[in-house]
Amino acid sequence: MNQPKILIFACKWCGLIGADAAGKRRASLPSRFRVIPVECASLVETDAILRALAGGIDGVAVLGCHMGGCRYNNANHTAVKRLELLQDLLDTTGIGRNRLLLSFGTAHEGYQFEELIQGFFDELTSLPPLDPWLSPFGVTR
Amino acid sequence: METIAVFLCKCFGEIDTAVDFDFLTGELSNDPSVAVISTIDSLCLESGMAKIVSLIKETGSDRVLIAACSPLAKGGFVADSIAEAGIERHKIGLVDIREGCAWIHGDDPGGASRKARDLIHMGIASLQNGEMSDDMTVTVHPGALILGAGPAGLAAAVSLAETGFEVALLERSKDPGGMLRLISRCYPGDENASEKLDPYIKEIEKNPLITFYPQAKIMSMEGDTGDFTATFSSQGKDISIRSGVIIVATGAKIFFPAGLYGYGELKNVITQMELERQILNGSLETKNTVFIQCVGARDTKRPYCSTICCPISLKNASRIAGDVPGGSVFVLHRGIMTPGNTLEKYYRDTLSGGVQFIRFEEDNPPQIGGGDHVEYVEVFDAINGIKRTIEADLVVLSTPLVPNTDNVNLAKMLGVDVDSYGFFSEIYPMHPLETKTDGIFICGSARWPVSSDDAILQGKGAAIKAVSYLRQSEIAASTLSRVPGSKSGHARVVAESCTGCGNCVAACPFNACGLERMNSGFVSTVNMMRCKGCGNCVSVCPNGSIQIPEHNYRMVGEMIHMAFQGWEL
Repeated sequence: MNQPKILIFACKWCGLIGADAAGKRRASLPSRFRVIPVECASLVETDAILRALAGGIDGVAVLGCHMGGCRYNNANHTAVKRLELLQDLLDTTGIGRNRLLLSFGTAHEGYQFEELIQGFFDELTSLPPLDPWLSPFGVTR
Repeated sequence: METIAVFLCKCFGEIDTAVDFDFLTGELSNDPSVAVISTIDSLCLESGMAKIVSLIKETGSDRVLIAACSPLAKGGFVADSIAEAGIERHKIGLVDIREGCAWIHGDDPGGASRKARDLIHMGIASLQNGEMSDDMTVTVHPGALILGAGPAGLAAAVSLAETGFEVALLERSKDPGGMLRLISRCYPGDENASEKLDPYIKEIEKNPLITFYPQAKIMSMEGDTGDFTATFSSQGKDISIRSGVIIVATGAKIFFPAGLYGYGELKNVITQMELERQILNGSLETKNTVFIQCVGARDTKRPYCSTICCPISLKNASRIAGDVPGGSVFVLHRGIMTPGNTLEKYYRDTLSGGVQFIRFEEDNPPQIGGGDHVEYVEVFDAINGIKRTIEADLVVLSTPLVPNTDNVNLAKMLGVDVDSYGFFSEIYPMHPLETKTDGIFICGSARWPVSSDDAILQGKGAAIKAVSYLRQSEIAASTLSRVPGSKSGHARVVAESCTGCGNCVAACPFNACGLERMNSGFVSTVNMMRCKGCGNCVSVCPNGSIQIPEHNYRMVGEMIHMAFQGWEL
């Protein structure tokens, strides 16, 4: 069975708090995800997501605050637009938009984070692993 | 080469039940950049902290990595305590291996150990590549500039002067008082408007700290938090004033209902403000009066509720019902808006005072009948389902407050936002009265239609918020964060590779990025007093010329690379 690897960019005001709360309630999640805390979802560069996918990570999640609740004067609005464009690009290249999970305002609470990540795991498990198509760029960084 | 001291916390069995510490120390000892690995039972106790500090000093490590609980639990406290012992805060890294690893993967010890190892490696990568943002300080000019001398502006000016700061009070018209000068009495206390204004006006005349500039027109606005410079003309003279903060209390204006309900065509169809003027100079003559609410408000063009028109109608309707014997007073409304304890009581008092209320629907508004002046009003009573004809010789239209037309220009000058209607927008909902630029506050009807009591309250609130800036002699850009201690850094531009495309200028939510003309072309610049470190500019830069040093692309790349090191496929 495919064991997906997930990288999560979590905004420190929402996604990270959700991740923290999931730990506090002793949620049981597969250990194959890593969280990189970011100041705001708008700080997540599209290059970083592509680099992660090229490096053999099966799915990337970007967790931010809900629309209208950004600490940075609606900076997450532009992030949504940008990352949805990236999803289109992932579709075009055949990687598939479902390898990039965008979630704004739905990972505040521990149980929400748990459901979201578990669902993403289940979805990625049904997909073939990305590794066989690793580019030389990804392997040698 | 810089060396890193890694401290692992067992948290008295909370972490080491799931994470294999022998495996961790074994893996970490292969890393050449790790100088010290120390396992401690509990880092957050004093004994643990003392051990960390002494070990760092002994081994001379440059950077410290703490693998313990999350920053939201005790991690942040541990890092701050170590910083107090003399290690720079940006050289201390925090890795969460309790909430984010041991607790969440308690049933998978092997996976949790591998995750802890990877998280620590990611932490090391982030420590090695993290840089520190530049900082700048601004000397605060201990004075305030207040735009608008209505009730909000006056209250703010008087409160600021009471705390001992100089105030420049600018007013568009000749006299202070704003819209309150045009009305007779205020709701809900039925207080005389001039009695309410007088103490404030006396204070601004008498207090040497307050300078009043009538007939002022702002020409330009420069500078940032702590040191703004405003240039304006007042009574024909050009004046330039420096100030530490700006309070915007420019108010709003009244909507004139041209063409609605025969306004302008039929005599005796007047607005609420004209009624106030007639009451004020004693020229009011009426027998049967009809008030019509929501004229030009709560429709498709202006979907908001102006909040003050219903109480004003209640005030004037009960006054007329009491003063004019034998006449009738009707209020035609689409739902009376009287929030709070005082206003709802006001409504009930008015109801028992002989004023009649009829509710109509938006799509079936009342019709005004008559030749050159009003004779009757036809209205479809939405509750009883019948059409009623009311005799009337005066129709009063309650119109909403609409934003001043020059709000957009003023907002552009100040570098703040207006909402979709044109009112100044605050940081909703977390920071009331504050705008996106630190040191600029909004209060009164410039923000949203409010009653005179609320305007005074907001003026005082803005003054108190302003004092928190003015009392400092210097403001560092790194402290300008609305959640204290939360600012991560400022964007930094690499001028050599910047192409001057202006993407960052368009993307910045705080007007912090700008373009500067150099010999070679345009180059982006970052105003640190405005930058909040969100990183929107970073992700739109086509060639990575703008970076947040604390979270740069090299660091993210390394962290991604280390995320799944040696993963068994």
